[in-house]
Amino acid sequence: MSVQATAPKKRNLSLNGDDVRRMCTAIAGGLVLAIMTGPEGSISEPTYGVKTSLLTSHVIGYLIFGVILGCLLTYRAKVQDGTWRRIRSTPRRTLFERAAAVSSISRYALLAVTALAAALVTLIFADFSGPVTRNKLSVHVLAHQFLYTRTYGYLLLALALWFTVVNQAMRLTTYRLRSIPRPLFVLGAVIAIFFFSLTSDPFLPARFAWRSLNPAVANSLFHHWTTYLWLILGLAISLSWLFKRDRSSGTGSPRRSRALVVTPPMRFLTYVAAGFIVFEAPKYMSQYWQISLFQQIGVFCLLAIGLNIVVGFAGLLDLGYVAFYCLGAYVTAYFCGALPLQPPFHLNPFLIIPFAIIIAMLSGVLLGLPTLRLRGDYLAIVTLGFGEIVYVLANDWTTVTGGSAGTGAITNFSIHLFGVNYAWNPTNPLSYYYLLLGILIPAIFLFDFLNHSKVGRTWAAIREDEVAAQSLGINALKYKVMAFAMGASTAGAAGVFTAVKVGHLFPNTFILQLSISILVLVIFGGMGSIVGVLLGAIVLQWLPSYMNFHSYLGFQEADLYLYIGALLVVMMIFRPQGLVPSRRRRREIFDAEEGLGSADALGAITQEQPS
Amino acid sequence: MTDRDPIFEVKDVTLRFGGVTSLNNVSIQQERGEILSVIGPNGAGKTSLFNCLTGVYLPQEGSITFHPSPTKAINVVGRAPHRVARAGVARTFQTSRMFNALTTFENVKIGVEAHQKTGPIGAMLKLPRARHEERYSDERSHELLEFVNLTHRTNTLADSLPYGDRRRLEIARALGTDPKVLLLDEPAAGTNPSEKLALAALISRINTELGISILLIEHDMKLVMSLAQRLIVLNFGGVIAEGTPQQIQENPLVIEAYLGASDEAKQ
Repeated sequence: MSVQATAPKKRNLSLNGDDVRRMCTAIAGGLVLAIMTGPEGSISEPTYGVKTSLLTSHVIGYLIFGVILGCLLTYRAKVQDGTWRRIRSTPRRTLFERAAAVSSISRYALLAVTALAAALVTLIFADFSGPVTRNKLSVHVLAHQFLYTRTYGYLLLALALWFTVVNQAMRLTTYRLRSIPRPLFVLGAVIAIFFFSLTSDPFLPARFAWRSLNPAVANSLFHHWTTYLWLILGLAISLSWLFKRDRSSGTGSPRRSRALVVTPPMRFLTYVAAGFIVFEAPKYMSQYWQISLFQQIGVFCLLAIGLNIVVGFAGLLDLGYVAFYCLGAYVTAYFCGALPLQPPFHLNPFLIIPFAIIIAMLSGVLLGLPTLRLRGDYLAIVTLGFGEIVYVLANDWTTVTGGSAGTGAITNFSIHLFGVNYAWNPTNPLSYYYLLLGILIPAIFLFDFLNHSKVGRTWAAIREDEVAAQSLGINALKYKVMAFAMGASTAGAAGVFTAVKVGHLFPNTFILQLSISILVLVIFGGMGSIVGVLLGAIVLQWLPSYMNFHSYLGFQEADLYLYIGALLVVMMIFRPQGLVPSRRRRREIFDAEEGLGSADALGAITQEQPS
Repeated sequence: MTDRDPIFEVKDVTLRFGGVTSLNNVSIQQERGEILSVIGPNGAGKTSLFNCLTGVYLPQEGSITFHPSPTKAINVVGRAPHRVARAGVARTFQTSRMFNALTTFENVKIGVEAHQKTGPIGAMLKLPRARHEERYSDERSHELLEFVNLTHRTNTLADSLPYGDRRRLEIARALGTDPKVLLLDEPAAGTNPSEKLALAALISRINTELGISILLIEHDMKLVMSLAQRLIVLNFGGVIAEGTPQQIQENPLVIEAYLGASDEAKQ
C-alpha cells in the first residue's frame, strides 16, 4: 500500500519468540525421540551415566535432526509470512555467471568441479552407510570402487543428483533434469538399473566385480528375485516419467495432470508381475529371507492394511492398535491350552481364526462405542491407554496369561480332512507364508472394494466434514465404530498367525512402540491407499531384516529408529502424502496446506464448527 | 385456515448459551408445501433456529415437532442430527460445506446413499442388493445433477467449483436424501445477480416440481420477497413480525429493526 512496503527490506534475521519456541520444540522433540527409542547406553539406562549416554550416535543423530527440522520449519514460516525472502528467488549474480564472465574455460572448469564433487559424495555414500560408519576413507578405497558395477549405477545417480540439486542451487546452467530428452532419460534409468541388478543385492549392492561376470552368473541373475524388483522399479520410474504431462499446458491443476493414467492392459500386466513375484520369488530365497518374509513382512502387511482402514479410510488416530494384535495372539494361546487358564475345549489353530477375529472385533466395538465420540488427539490418547491396559494385563495377570515369562507352546497349524493330512512345520517357513497369502490377498481385494463402495465414500465424508455428513443422515459414530471393528479384526487374524508361527508369546512383543511402528508403515506408504500401505510395509519391514543380514554395514538393531525417524522427517517435508497416496487423501493434505481448512493430526481437513 | 397441515411446529423454543439467550420463546409454524422465509438482522438467531430444527442444538425449553406426513409426528428436540435428517429434514449451510476432496458426482451420491441399507459386508462382497442400490444411486445422482444443472461438472473436484456452482451442488446433495422439507441457510450469499436469478428459479422448481417445503434464510430482500409466500422476522432471538411479503414490508417494527428507529418514530 505504501511506498515503504515495496522498498527492499534490510537483511535482518528478525527472530522472535515464536521462532525460539519452534526451535526448542523441534530439538526437544528430537531428544524425546532419542530417549524413547533409546538402545542400551541411552539416557533411559542410568547405569551408563548421563555423559556417556548423551554421546551415543543416535542421541546426537536425533538432536541433529531436531536442529535441521527446526531450521527448515523456521525458514518455511519466515518465507510464508514475508519476513524472509526465498533463497532461490534472490536475483543475484551467481557464481557461475561470474565464472563465465572470466573465460569459457573457467566456466567449464566450474561445471566439471561440481560434477566431480557430486560424484565423490555419491561414491562415499555408496561405500559407507549413514552416520554409524566404522571404515576409514582413503584414495585406495575410492579407486577400488571402480571394480564394482554398482559404482557405475551410483555415478548415473550422481549425475541425476547433480542436475537437480547442485545445478539448480548454483544456477550453473540452464539445463535441468526435466530438459533432458525423455528417451535419453529412460535409457539412463535402464542402464543404472542394470548395473544395480547385476549385483544380487538391492539396497547397497554387494561387492560384485566385473571380472566375475561369467555366463553362469549372468544366467542365474534372472533367477534372482531382486533382479525383477529392480526391473520393475526402473520400469515404474521411466513410465511415470513418460506419462507425466507437461505442466505448462492444460488448464487443470498441475498436481492432477501428473497422475499416471492406468489403462486395463497396464493393470493386467501389473497383476501378473505382482503375482509372479509374490508366488514365485520366495522359492528362490534363503531360509532367512523366507522366515523374514512371513514374520517381518507378511504379517505386518496384514496389520498395516487393517490399520489403514482406521487411519486412512476413517481418519481416526489409533495408537493402541497393537492391543488387538495381542488379543488375537493370546486368544490363540488360550484355545491351544498354552495359558495357565485352561479353555473348556482345545481347538485347531485354523478354527481359532474366526474366534480371534470375532473377539478382536467385539473388543474394538466395546472400545469404540464410548471413545469414538472424541475427536482427534483425545481419541489417540484413549487408544494409547487401551494399548497399555492390554499390555499390562498380558504382562502382570500371571494366573491367566502366564505373565512376563510368556506362554506355553502353541499348537501348530495342521489339516486332517478327507484323507488329507498335512502339518505345518517351522523348518518350512514358506508353508506359513502361502497360508498367510490365503487371508492377505482376499483382504486386500475386499478392503479395496469397500473403499470404493458406499461405505468408503461415507468414511471420506465423515473424515472431511462430520457435521455436513450428519446433516445428510449419516450416523458418524456407527461408521467410525465399524472402521474400528474391521481394523481390530484384521489385527486379530494377524495375531493368530504370529502366535502359531512363533510358538511362544511374550508380552513385551506387544508394546506401544509396535503400534507406532505399524502407524509409521501406514503414514510412510500413504494413508488411505492400499497399494501404498503395502509398499510402505514391505519397504520398512524389509529394511531392518536386510540390514541385520548384512552386518558388515555396521548396523545395530537399535539404530533402526534413527533411520526410520530420519526417513519420516524427510518424507513429511517433501512428500507428506506418503509414497503412493490415495487421490482423496492427497487432495485433503494439499487443501490443508493451502489453508482451505486446518489439518488434523493425520493431515485431513477439519472444519471449524459454527458457534 | 381451518384445516391446517403443518410440517414444522415450533412452540416456545428458548435456546441459551451460558448467559446469552439466542432464541427467546420462538413459536413458528410452517405449512406443508410452503416457502417460508426467516429474515432478520445479523445475530438475530436465524442460524440457531436452523440448528435447533435439525437437532444440532438442544433448546432448553419448548418443543419442535416435525410432521413428515399429515398423520406422523416426530419430536426433534433431543434427537441426534442424523436421525432428524433421516426423518426427512435436509439442509444446506451458511458457509458451504462440501466434501472437498470428492468429485461433484460423489458428493451427490453420498447424499443419496446415506439412506440406503447396504452394510459393510454387502459392500465388500458386492452382494446383489449392494449392486442394485449402487445402480440406483448412480442414476439418481445423475438426475439430480441434471436438475440443478451441473452435469458439465460431474467429475470436477468440489473444491475447484465456482461459488455459485458450489451452492447448487450443496442443494443437490441435500435433495439426494429425498427430504420432505429443505432448510436453506443463505443460499444466495456471495453469488452474482445472474446466479441469483438462476437460484431463485431453482428454489421455486424444487418447491413446485418436487413438492418439497422450503424454509429459507436469506438477506437478499428482492429474492426473499419474490420467492417466499410467508415471512417471519427475528430480532434479538424473538419473533417480531409474521406475514405475507406485502405486510412485512409495511410493518414499522421490521423497518426499525433493519434501519434503526427513524427520528419521527422516536418522537
